[in-house]
Amino acid sequence: MTLEPLDRAEAVRYLGGGSREPDERLSALLSDCEKELISAARPKYLYKFIDLPCAELTRGEDIKAHLEGCRKAAVLCATLGAEVDRLLRVAQVTDMSRAVVLDALAGVAIEQVCGRIDEMLAEQLPELFMTFRFSPGYGDYPLETQKTILALLDAPRRIGLTLNESLLMIPSKSVTAVVGFSSSPLTAKKRGCASCDMRGSCKYRKQGEHCGF
Amino acid sequence: MLDGAMGTLIQKSGARFNHSPETLNLTRAGLIEGFHRRYIEAGADIVYANTFGANSYKLSGSGHTVAEIIGAGVRNAKRACEGSDALVALDIGPIGMLLEPAGSLSFDEAYEYFREQVVAGRKADLIVIETMTDLYELKAAVLAAKENSDKPVLATMTFEKNGRTFTGVSPAAAALTLSGLGVDALGVNCSLGPDELAPVVEEMSRYTSLPLIVKANAGLPDPNSNEYDITPGQFAAYVEKLLPFGVKFVGGCCGTDPEYITELKKMLSGKSYIPTAKTACSSVCSAATVVEIDRPRIIGERINPTGKKLFKQALAENNIDYILSQALSQVQGGAEILDVNVGHPEIDEKKMMVRVLKAIQSVCDAPLQIDSTKPSVLEAGLRAYNGKPIVNSVNGEEKSLSAVLPLVKKYGAAVVGLTLDEGGIPKTAEGRFEIAKRIVSRAEALGIPREDIFIDCLTLTVSAEQDACRETLRALHRVKTELGCKTCLGVSNISFGLPNRELVNSVFLTMALEEGLDLPIINPNIDVMTGAVRAYRVLAGIDRSSLDFIAAYGGEPKKAAPAVEKEADLFTAVCSGLKGEAAAATERLLKTVDAMEIVNTKLIPALDRVGEDFEKNKIFLPQLIRSANTTQECFEVIKRELSRQGGGSVSKGKIILATVKGDIHDIGKNIVKVLLDNYGYTVIDLGRDVDPKLVVETAIEQKTRLIGLSALMTTTLGSMEETISLIRAAEELQNPDGSSFCGIMVGGAVLTKEYAEKIGADYYCRDAKEAVDAAKDFFGA
Repeated sequence: MTLEPLDRAEAVRYLGGGSREPDERLSALLSDCEKELISAARPKYLYKFIDLPCAELTRGEDIKAHLEGCRKAAVLCATLGAEVDRLLRVAQVTDMSRAVVLDALAGVAIEQVCGRIDEMLAEQLPELFMTFRFSPGYGDYPLETQKTILALLDAPRRIGLTLNESLLMIPSKSVTAVVGFSSSPLTAKKRGCASCDMRGSCKYRKQGEHCGF
Repeated sequence: MLDGAMGTLIQKSGARFNHSPETLNLTRAGLIEGFHRRYIEAGADIVYANTFGANSYKLSGSGHTVAEIIGAGVRNAKRACEGSDALVALDIGPIGMLLEPAGSLSFDEAYEYFREQVVAGRKADLIVIETMTDLYELKAAVLAAKENSDKPVLATMTFEKNGRTFTGVSPAAAALTLSGLGVDALGVNCSLGPDELAPVVEEMSRYTSLPLIVKANAGLPDPNSNEYDITPGQFAAYVEKLLPFGVKFVGGCCGTDPEYITELKKMLSGKSYIPTAKTACSSVCSAATVVEIDRPRIIGERINPTGKKLFKQALAENNIDYILSQALSQVQGGAEILDVNVGHPEIDEKKMMVRVLKAIQSVCDAPLQIDSTKPSVLEAGLRAYNGKPIVNSVNGEEKSLSAVLPLVKKYGAAVVGLTLDEGGIPKTAEGRFEIAKRIVSRAEALGIPREDIFIDCLTLTVSAEQDACRETLRALHRVKTELGCKTCLGVSNISFGLPNRELVNSVFLTMALEEGLDLPIINPNIDVMTGAVRAYRVLAGIDRSSLDFIAAYGGEPKKAAPAVEKEADLFTAVCSGLKGEAAAATERLLKTVDAMEIVNTKLIPALDRVGEDFEKNKIFLPQLIRSANTTQECFEVIKRELSRQGGGSVSKGKIILATVKGDIHDIGKNIVKVLLDNYGYTVIDLGRDVDPKLVVETAIEQKTRLIGLSALMTTTLGSMEETISLIRAAEELQNPDGSSFCGIMVGGAVLTKEYAEKIGADYYCRDAKEAVDAAKDFFGA
């Protein structure tokens, strides 16, 4: 998979700029960093369909609620690769303002990759209704589930995506998630502040903004 | 002849196992033995025991120890070999966690995992380390194998379609490094099908004369069915095409079964191994980049505290970022290899060398030259280095030869040989040539190839000994032509005590290049020096069609900076983040205004304004940082002025920053650092994944009272709490009444004010601006 042009407005939002237009210099910095990021990124992903129920993937109340009524689920993981981490390290030594812009753009990029995986998954099961992606760490869904997902997908060997002892993913710009498939339309499971854990302390909400979730 | 995949057979058999397939060694010993036997019957001479993932990390929770699983695995394979000549290999795969700098597992921890496996597998006939993607992890495994057993070692890595591993290792770097470490054969496994491996195998063969190993997958798996797409017959035919590259060991990896091995065996019948000699000349490397010394190559000299006040200060303050920026700017200037010297009486040179080498390798691909007079520092550096480095240096003294050369051999490095001995530096070229000869013969006797010895005929100061310059050049010429060694020379010494040193240096450099100098050690950020090397490569016919030269100088002409109509005032320059203007404005102001007054009345208020704008969302984070960096330029100007006046400091207090143990995301901490730096605080940055003990030790050593900690994940908040309690418990950091006098500020995505209080922090900082407020509050300024 190669990256398509990145959603810069999204990056600006990650940078705390809300929906305001960046000035000329910041725009130039954004385009510069976008080029650099796209050339460093080697997006890779894996997914697998599984039948529900599956105890080891559904620990915690929130994931159970999320997958309610689903017969099938898909586990997925995606990463931008090790070179992006390196790019971020170098930028943090040479130019911190560049580093934060690259970091924001990398967030946008991995989201783009996941969005495209969503589309692929939906296409493969057109007769079913798909939930949004639910990742370990959302609500009470334990971070340990990352281990299960990566092992199921043989991710360390196949795409070089690993965890450290604190359950941080390495390379850092990576995602693991579960989506559910149901034969009846899904109503309540919308993404948004109402279903988010961070709503009390969210810096975007305080500014009357939205993180995009 | 090696075997085929074990995992594939286990999968096909439908055998069920708990936790990991290696547990079958105990629960289904007969089944595993049967799989080995099928491979032996198909023609395998070596079978890999079912021990690939049997390390204590992957087995944790399985209820079995490494010794049990590996012992059983080797026994099963041994039983299968009975009645045949087949040998059993202890199979070692990746640990499953990434090593620093990408991950957080340390080299020594990795070594320990592997050591445990090697010891548990001592009944095997040989050791294979396979499917590695990180050369550093592989190095830990090879050292563990060689230091804890005397079995032959085979090592293979896994490459992607782009010819690199996941972590960016090139086949050439793998071949060079592994050959140096003394493995018995090396190559590639897993990865791709044998049809796609030719470029990888060919590249390896250019950089090693050792036998190669090819244990490929049966093509690519279908994403849905997980079936592989190359048949046994095709597989053997593709592998056959790889044999001329010096391939001695063949077998199969994922998707292969005994049929593939049968076909390979048929293909091999009547053929014998044809050794091939490597074609590349002297080369050194990092994990990603090989530098072949087939032309003059520039070694950057600036990572060295000698005569550099700022560098010494950076070392004393643990300011690794300063050293990293020196590394990156030298590479930008044209350095192809970097010398690394951190010898300074006030610090632990060994620890610092390891730390600096790792840090440089995390941001920079240039191969490094480990520079120290102490063998213990050299050894620590050699162990920590990822790739094939240069050791700087050995000399003709017996003491040096016997201490340094064995290290060079063991770790497979190249070495600089200085032509001096117990009698000092010989005056004549002949005397130096004799020492060079002695160094070469001693090195060769230990098995260090001549191509890995770089002789330095020593530059003497021409203003002190004018005729010595000729002797140096004559010696260099003789070493190059008569001994056939590569040569190396520190250039800058020549002009000491003379005016216009750059002119003298560059002419001397040109003369030396013409006499055969391969590795000039220079300051690559001085244009005429780097330029002289580049021009020489053109004039000597090395840089064909002047391609490199044009690439370096023929690009778009640099745009002239827009003329500044009016001199910007400092306040505005900082607020708008204009570095050049701000520095110039500082210089102008310094003529009439006191340095501290500039800091307090101009710089800090400007930063405060920017900070307020950021809080009010008028500006974005990158702009805040840009302004902070601009202030840094101003501080540099002011520091220079103060040090010119002799004394005085603008530091408002020392602060330790660290991202806690287990956490490797430190961008937030780094933002805080930039801001604190530029508010005039001295920041001691301990980096990420920091051991709680190191925080306490540093606080004591550096007499620091304010400590900032960051943690990103809920899983690492525990480390933060542990670090805080350790700080509070340290007697050296307590008042006479037993209360702690350290201020602790904490921050990070998942922290809350309540939690910060609960774990005993004094300040909770939501963002970098609040960290500055905390520091102001703590120091009262």
